[in-house]
Amino acid sequence: MNSPIYLDYAATTPVDPRVAQCMMECLLPTGAHGNPSSTHAFGRRARALVEKARAQVAAAVGTSANTIVWTSGATESDNLAVFGVARFHADRGRHLISSKTEHKAVLDALKQLEREGFEVTYLKPDGAGIVHPEQVAQALRSDTQLVSLMHVNNETGVIQDIGAIGKLCRERGVLFHVDAAQSLGKVAIDVNAMQVDLMSLTAHKAYGPKGVGALYVRRSPPIGLRPVLFGGGQESGIRSGTLATHQIVGMGMAFELAEAERADDAMRLKSLRDRLWNAIVDLGGAEINGHAERRVANVLNVTFDGIEGESLQFALRELAVSAGAACSSASEAASYVLRALGRSDQQAQSSLRFSLGRFTTDAEIDAAIAVVQREVPRLRRVAQVS
Amino acid sequence: MAGADYSPLVIEHFERPRNTGRFEPAADVIEGRAGRPEQGCEFHVSARVGHDALIAVRISVYGCPHCIAAASWLSERLAGLGQQDLAAWSWREAAEALDVPAEKRGRMLILEDAVRHLAEAWRQRA
Repeated sequence: MNSPIYLDYAATTPVDPRVAQCMMECLLPTGAHGNPSSTHAFGRRARALVEKARAQVAAAVGTSANTIVWTSGATESDNLAVFGVARFHADRGRHLISSKTEHKAVLDALKQLEREGFEVTYLKPDGAGIVHPEQVAQALRSDTQLVSLMHVNNETGVIQDIGAIGKLCRERGVLFHVDAAQSLGKVAIDVNAMQVDLMSLTAHKAYGPKGVGALYVRRSPPIGLRPVLFGGGQESGIRSGTLATHQIVGMGMAFELAEAERADDAMRLKSLRDRLWNAIVDLGGAEINGHAERRVANVLNVTFDGIEGESLQFALRELAVSAGAACSSASEAASYVLRALGRSDQQAQSSLRFSLGRFTTDAEIDAAIAVVQREVPRLRRVAQVS
Repeated sequence: MAGADYSPLVIEHFERPRNTGRFEPAADVIEGRAGRPEQGCEFHVSARVGHDALIAVRISVYGCPHCIAAASWLSERLAGLGQQDLAAWSWREAAEALDVPAEKRGRMLILEDAVRHLAEAWRQRA
């Protein structure tokens, strides 16, 4: 068993060995090392692999290959969607709608648009982390150009009703962007059934490599999108830059495997997660953050009453877990997601996110339970909290 | 949250805090407290008072590892102190012994407040 025990799959996942194998084959001098934009045999070989991966990613989200644009990850995809739509359609309206619990990749892009004179409505989820379609309906205006909401929250695992919101946006003629960085392999995705116009995807949360992602862009009818990267004109001019064949091949394989194994993975991980939660709840003074049912099977975000956050994290250092989102953990500020759900600063800082994954074993969960059962009561005794 | 952020002495006292608990109220028991969880730390110090010195001390602490370690470390040094020495105890002793970082020194001041409160309770009892 590794030490510490890795329970931070929502932050990132190890690359599945089957994915790594495919990627390695691209990297060597005998592999597909050509530039996929080159017209010679090396380029064509790399191009073929890129297009195969594009089809794999497209199939995983229920669309055709020509709607998938490669990026360097979900952050870039989010930026491309938000800036791309806002700036292209600025002459028709400068209002966007999002929520207070989006990833920083969306929120910080929106803040930049506000500095450029756009207006953004940030919807507040309910105490369980749900943004209701009625809230979106009330916020829509005649000058709204984009609604951007995440499918699965990275901190709580809460799943939004993307289909209902997509239907609403389509009826009102407003473009709908979904950050689905946490979704692949956990929940079913069908961009057409969900009536999504843009969707951000990333490989490294689905046992693929870091540094590669994709943006689904609806083609029919076409969406106006202004690029944010300029250069060689790759990806039909939407996203310039030499395509990283090995990264893309990895993403394609990862997505194909994740979708094929989704049901089995979910069942196994739910069982492990629920075993961990049952052991925690037996200690008393613990509360799940986010909707108890409408969340992905592998995430458990818990507030531990009566224990200061830094002591909690240090006491449980045999477990690699997150307090707040990994992207924000450099700051000591309480999680803005948990604050938006109504938790106090103190409660937010005394919360931990356990996120399990494909390689989590029963023995690791048993060991995690033992650590929690040892340390939580001990720290409460020190604080004299019963 | 690396262990390298804490000195070995902090880790020792965090993992094995000394003298935890509280004395039940009694004629020879005094208490001092300071801080609130909302501030990030709360200290409760209770002590049995002898003729002219503290006989035994108990601590309970809500706070970061430095807070727990400081209270534990202090609890080993308060027994045997007289009123004057108790009232004069300075947060700097704990901060230096435990290599408390500058940004945590405010919490050591709160620990000092708890000790001052304890000293005042002793003074008023006399």
